Amino acid sequence: MKNAIAAVFCLVWIFPVYWMVNTAFKPRPEVMTPEPHFWPHHPTLDNFTAAVTQPQFLTNLGNSVLVVAVTVVASIVLGILAAAALSRFRFPGRRTIMVVILAVQMLPATAMLIPLFTMFNRLDLLGTYTALILAYVATVLPFSIWVMRGFFVAVPAEVEEAAQIDGATTWRILVSVLFPLVAPGVIATGIFAFIAAWNDYLIAYTFMQDESAYTLPVWLASFTNPHTGTDFGAQMAASVIFAAPVVVFFLIIQRNLVAGMSAGAVKG
Amino acid sequence: MKTVTAPRDVPVAPVTPPAARSRRRRDPAPYLLLSPAGLVLAVVTLAPIGFLVFTSFTDYSQRTLFTGVYRFVGADQYTTLLQNPDFWVALLRTVLFTAAMVAGSVLIGMGVSHLLTRLGRAWRNTVTVVLIVAWAMPNVASSLVWNWLFQPGYGVVNWMLGALGSFLAWLSEAFGFPGGSGVFGDAAGLNWAQDPVLAYVVIWLLIVWQAVPFIALTLNAAETQVPHEYKEAARLDGASESTVYRIVTLRFLRPTLLLVTILSVIWDYNVFNQIWLITRGGPDDATATLGVYTYKTAFVGFKIGNGAAISVVTTLLLLGLTAVYIRNLLKAGEDL
Repeated sequence: MKNAIAAVFCLVWIFPVYWMVNTAFKPRPEVMTPEPHFWPHHPTLDNFTAAVTQPQFLTNLGNSVLVVAVTVVASIVLGILAAAALSRFRFPGRRTIMVVILAVQMLPATAMLIPLFTMFNRLDLLGTYTALILAYVATVLPFSIWVMRGFFVAVPAEVEEAAQIDGATTWRILVSVLFPLVAPGVIATGIFAFIAAWNDYLIAYTFMQDESAYTLPVWLASFTNPHTGTDFGAQMAASVIFAAPVVVFFLIIQRNLVAGMSAGAVKG
Repeated sequence: MKTVTAPRDVPVAPVTPPAARSRRRRDPAPYLLLSPAGLVLAVVTLAPIGFLVFTSFTDYSQRTLFTGVYRFVGADQYTTLLQNPDFWVALLRTVLFTAAMVAGSVLIGMGVSHLLTRLGRAWRNTVTVVLIVAWAMPNVASSLVWNWLFQPGYGVVNWMLGALGSFLAWLSEAFGFPGGSGVFGDAAGLNWAQDPVLAYVVIWLLIVWQAVPFIALTLNAAETQVPHEYKEAARLDGASESTVYRIVTLRFLRPTLLLVTILSVIWDYNVFNQIWLITRGGPDDATATLGVYTYKTAFVGFKIGNGAAISVVTTLLLLGLTAVYIRNLLKAGEDL
């Protein structure tokens, strides 16, 4: 009985993902049919070709890669320093900073969007990579700090004390002792940051009005053919291309995911 | 609770004794380490929040975007907003919809969590992989998949409903059950996004589908920590399995349950992408929750001052919950 329930649950829950992949491999006549084909009778890669040869695909992919890469590097470099400060030192104002970091995570996206939009408009930055990167750092940095702090906290104080007794300076301890120990956590955090920035639709959709400045999610959502309606086969193939790296990364960091989510990361 | 607070593969060490700390009291290191991130966060998060509040007291509009000219209007945006029935309807809609999504995802999540504890290894691993794959799907991609699943004419869901309808019709034909036919008669042409109720159903299904994995896995992590002796004792006293769950398991799950519920409320209250990509708030604003309502006001109508006021009110309403959430994290032993 419980196995039957598990089987039904798996079928229902995986079906949307299966339907995306299934559709991606079907030739057009099999996609647009009132009688659905539950597997591709004549599997083809045409939809993938159609997706990647769409105008702007490569440009928009490039935009995504550039903006996400800078965001990840910036939030890791800034985040690791701040996380070290918040986990290995006691100093006045520390608690306040941590509460602010947590609270900022819970703000509605539209609440950050309005002032960032008007500020970037005043600075003439709308439509630029800079605007997008700054907005992503604003959303990603707080949880990067929070998650990395957790990894720092896990390093026993004795390790640090031993180095101190050996006469190492604060900087030396950080760079030679602590940073190597938290490296796996830093990688997990980098993947979190990648996923959050890679998946963003709202900010890019609002800030990047020009098609050539779109990122992949915006490109994906605007993926319609004005002459023949949406090409669902190609759109599902594009969705597979877009989702694949995220799914792979998710599987790599799945053990850290629950922790990151509770800190407000990777918002739904 | 360990599982939902911070990543800890290594057992947590006690905090360094005060003696060791006091030596570094005047150490400028923490401030130096914090200042780069602090500077960036001040510019990209704190200043914008201040600016949002300021904007909500002005008549910032589309014209302002070009000319930079705006007027300070005091609390006008707020009085207008609170007198606008659209706002109250959007608020009510958001509250009800959030309640429906949270109830659905928490209840199903609890069920799946419990199911996981009772499955053999093979099925448990299968369910876990399915959960992680569903969870990993970027919400833009899943929203588009949903549009395709529920597409009028070619959507597989409409076809399934049609097939179910024919099956019921056949049943009532064959065995004389009343009312079987015609229930899903014209399912193939159903346009989900064009009907207020159906549009909600589609969005609800999507949100619940995405939310269940986190809830189920988090609760399951806590559920596996419930001491066996308590359950055994209850069973020996003759309690049924459902009573054991209610009396023992639920009691231990309560803190985790509270945490995932609060987080779900915060996230579902803020849902934007899925609604925007499936219905754009339509038909006729029927699915325009506060987030969509704010977005349309600020970025479609370009009444930015007005949008800012809605955002401030929305955020204030959320603030209480956020406070509860942070307090809970603190109580859960997060060493702040």
